[in-house]
Amino acid sequence: MNLVWDNLPFLLKGAYYTLLVTVISMFFGLIIGLVVAIARLKGNRLIRGIARVYVSIIRGTPLLVQIFIVYYGLVDYGITLGPLTAAYVALSINVGAYLSETFRGAIQSIPKGQTEAAYATGMTGWMTMRRIILPQAARVAIAPMGNTFIGMLKETALVSAITVTELLRSAQLLIAQYYVYMPFFLGIAAMYWIMSTVFSAILNAVEKQLSRVY
Amino acid sequence: MIQTTGLSKSFNGLEVLKSIDLRVAPKEIVVLLGPSGSGKSTLLRSLNGLEELDGGSLEVNGVRVEAGMPSKKKQAGFREIRRHTGMVFQQFNLYPHKTALGNVIESLMTVKKMKKAEAVQIGERLLDRVGLLVKKDEYPSRLSGGQQQRVAIARALAMEPAIMLFDEPTSALDPELVGEVLEVMRQLARDGMTMVIVTHEMKFARQVANRVVFMDGGVIVEEQEPEIFFQNPKSERSRKFINQLQEH
Ligand SMILES: Nc1ncnc2c1ncn2[C@@H]1O[C@H](COP(=O)(O)OP(=O)(O)OP(=O)(O)O)[C@@H](O)[C@H]1O
Ligand SMILES: [Mg+2]
Repeated sequence: MNLVWDNLPFLLKGAYYTLLVTVISMFFGLIIGLVVAIARLKGNRLIRGIARVYVSIIRGTPLLVQIFIVYYGLVDYGITLGPLTAAYVALSINVGAYLSETFRGAIQSIPKGQTEAAYATGMTGWMTMRRIILPQAARVAIAPMGNTFIGMLKETALVSAITVTELLRSAQLLIAQYYVYMPFFLGIAAMYWIMSTVFSAILNAVEKQLSRVY
Repeated sequence: MIQTTGLSKSFNGLEVLKSIDLRVAPKEIVVLLGPSGSGKSTLLRSLNGLEELDGGSLEVNGVRVEAGMPSKKKQAGFREIRRHTGMVFQQFNLYPHKTALGNVIESLMTVKKMKKAEAVQIGERLLDRVGLLVKKDEYPSRLSGGQQQRVAIARALAMEPAIMLFDEPTSALDPELVGEVLEVMRQLARDGMTMVIVTHEMKFARQVANRVVFMDGGVIVEEQEPEIFFQNPKSERSRKFINQLQEH
């Protein structure tokens, strides 16, 4: 275990990248998810179709394959992304698909009467979405969104495969140096667990706060 | 103020409104009556485009919409109509994430682009008018059904509508809360608001209406002064309807 303590700064740097990848991908994933959800609900046939195919493909293929396509595959077309950029792109696109389903469900769960009341006072579809539907849908979506976020945190381990030195790869590098496995794997498992637990607690608090408002 | 000509509407091939010709004069109060499923709500909701007409045309407050118009033009027409009509729903449909005041001023700020301070002034005046100024900072979930419906009326009035549409505004209320909502509506009537009301409150209809429009099976069967309608209706179907009411 001393090995872990001695190399803690190195592992913490890995944890930092794990968090960075999670937060940035989640941020862009939220934007993608929202746009795709609205496209699926309000778009014309073509837009709805494109959005549906996107969600279907992303959900029907392994994340690791998606990551490889973005990092290695795109090189064939002259697009070379750095490992970190490729990680952001692949994970944002991936999580965006899942979040779009969450948002779509949340938006649909808001009673039709809300839209009708807003329309009846002269609001446009867009005003109604922004001012009436989305604020209510956000509250519905917050819990599943939190779960997605924590799921993401753990899935980022996959980007170690494209040489992003996040937590898992930090451990692998140390293992290659010291020829012992267990302490490092247990060490990073503990670090993942602590991060998940802290975020769960934060999300619970946020959720409580939100449900108190009305 | 309102005029529909040959207005018709179908749901999945079932014709729910069959060529309705309805006229409502300024300051007139029209009560729509009829058995369940006769098309009262559909007609009311057609007047502000919550149901899009399939045939005929309508003109509300000078804005004309025809079934044959391109969809964009129809939508624009309805949006214009909605800016000058208020609607009150059976289930209130207040925005749960906004306070009573927030509900009332929402469209003043978004649709009319009013400054918040100005909107708040109007909102408070309207809440006062329905007797709920003290509740302005409460969320709908903390208001009784009657209070919620009064807030909903204030919300509709905020846009300074020329016409108010009511779809069974008291049907979801506990009996002891019906009176306070009807009182607000009576006050509106006294102030000269043009109103089209679907209700099962016969006593209220009789007192307030200038005219009763009786519907059955998607057509207007009889239009009548309330006294005559309730005491001596002309059509067989109206008579049956009134007899059934009296049995209950
Ligand atoms: N959105 C809809 N889709 C399909 N059918 C509908 C829809 N809305 C109404 N209908 C049908 O249209 C007919 C008229 O309905 P409407 O709600 O206008 O009646 P109503 O006179 O308001 O009845 P009630 O007194 O029960 O409210 C009914 O047969 C109803 O089932
Ligand atoms: Mg009805």
